[in-house]
Amino acid sequence: MDRYPNPVMRRRDAAHPLAAPGPKLRPVAPAGTVECRGCGRRFGEARFAKHLRVCPDCGRHAVVPAMTRIAQLSDAGSLDVVRMQLTDRDPLGFDDGVPYPSRVAEARQRTRLDETFVVARAAMDSVPVVLACMDFGFLGGSLGSAAGEQFARACDLAVTEQRGLVAVCTSGGARMQEGIASLAQMARCSAGVVAVARAALPYISVLADPCFGGVTASFAVQADAILAEPHARIGFAGGRVIEQATYDRLPEGFQTSEFLLAHGMVDAVVERSLLRDTVSRLLVAFWRHP
Amino acid sequence: MTIATHTAERERVAFAAVELARNPGRPRALQVIAGAFAEWTEMRGDRLFGDDRAVVGGPARLDERWVMVIGQEKGTDAISRAVHNFGMPHPEGYRKAQRLMRTAEKFGMPVVCLVDTPAAHAGVAAEERGQAWAIAESLITMLELRVPVVSVVLSEGGSGGALALAVADRVLALENAVYTVAPPETCAAILYRDAGQRGRAAAALRPGVGTAHQIGLVDELIPEPMPGAHAHTAVTIGALRGAVVRHLNELCEVDVQTLVHARIARYRAAGD
Repeated sequence: MDRYPNPVMRRRDAAHPLAAPGPKLRPVAPAGTVECRGCGRRFGEARFAKHLRVCPDCGRHAVVPAMTRIAQLSDAGSLDVVRMQLTDRDPLGFDDGVPYPSRVAEARQRTRLDETFVVARAAMDSVPVVLACMDFGFLGGSLGSAAGEQFARACDLAVTEQRGLVAVCTSGGARMQEGIASLAQMARCSAGVVAVARAALPYISVLADPCFGGVTASFAVQADAILAEPHARIGFAGGRVIEQATYDRLPEGFQTSEFLLAHGMVDAVVERSLLRDTVSRLLVAFWRHP
Repeated sequence: MTIATHTAERERVAFAAVELARNPGRPRALQVIAGAFAEWTEMRGDRLFGDDRAVVGGPARLDERWVMVIGQEKGTDAISRAVHNFGMPHPEGYRKAQRLMRTAEKFGMPVVCLVDTPAAHAGVAAEERGQAWAIAESLITMLELRVPVVSVVLSEGGSGGALALAVADRVLALENAVYTVAPPETCAAILYRDAGQRGRAAAALRPGVGTAHQIGLVDELIPEPMPGAHAHTAVTIGALRGAVVRHLNELCEVDVQTLVHARIARYRAAGD
């Protein structure tokens, strides 16, 4: 078996006299392999998964689908994914060429998820928790009414079953296609966090790349402890928006986890391999002391 | 009329509504405070970093009742608009609002918020000092505040920057105001990758407060005299004052525990 198959080139040979001038396309990684977006090295899927989707060479933390994330964080055999009956809403009848409900249906089919969040009962180092993990692949992890409902129900579940709450946040922000209803979700998720706080249950939030807008400006940073993955981009307004709006020069490393740590906005920047232990240790520390 | 011109017309009309809400003659927070409240004493500074002039606030009397009034001020001329940063608060503005709310809570004063912002300020300094953190904290503070809260959307309520002053027992809005998830320009940049398509975004997003009223995020629309608040500011401020007083009278009858419980329950179901 050829361990290093030739990459499939999308581009015609540049030296060819008839080659059309065009954007330089990167070779596509062959099936079964993953290319690190940081250093470009390729790894087998299995090896990459074993490293928790962190590049073993350059340490870049790749995006983790929500289903993989809950498996990475929970004790073996403790997972119980909570499926929810969600009401789809299209308050604006939004259509930008593709009707909004079709976009949701397409995302559902592609990701095999109900909505942006995956909610699961689990144990972390034997501490009972509710995990609420966002999937950036589901319409950019955007927060719409159904996603807001998922998070609020995750909070309710934590309260009724006396579990800690762990959220992994990665999102572009509020879901524009639902307009004002998606803005209301920021308040709804906050109401969920308030319920968890009033029950004196610990809530740990993990910010993963990228996390912006209405998600960062609500439940993502309302936790008892806020952890961030290395080099994740986190903020309210995106860097491009800021540049265009203010003509400010963006400082080095602007809106990265390390930048936020230096500015006192997160408790720690935690490598993925240490994430589970760090979260569970905090949960144990915060668990009600008699 | 062809389909193309029909669409263009629809977008033009939709954006005209946004422009009406942005009419510089509409009553601003400081004008409302001067016109509807008495004996206002401005309290400045967040006690942490600085004073953000996009948010103004302090205790004032409203019809025999002392309240804490907090507003987003856009400014009325070139200089005051620059001073108040066009009503776009930095984190200090939200932290000042939180501080004033806690003071109000301590003394049992109801809180009245006047919302008027295109969005929270997007800038390097705002991000460095935790814009998202300040807004998120405001949401929690308002949800748990143990005094009655009434918010009024004056002209423009944009993004989390507006919501951070609009989590209340009663949310009122002037009828020609807009209340949106983000300004149409930003929506267009996100949805169509072109801020120039703001008309298209405005048509798609139905930014008028009527939409927010339909989904229950706004409880009551305060009627404006024709052709709009900009032409009759005194009449509008009078109507606004009447509506706020009426709602405060109702809310002050309710026991605080019930009030906070109902507020949290209300936002728990928001957007349904």
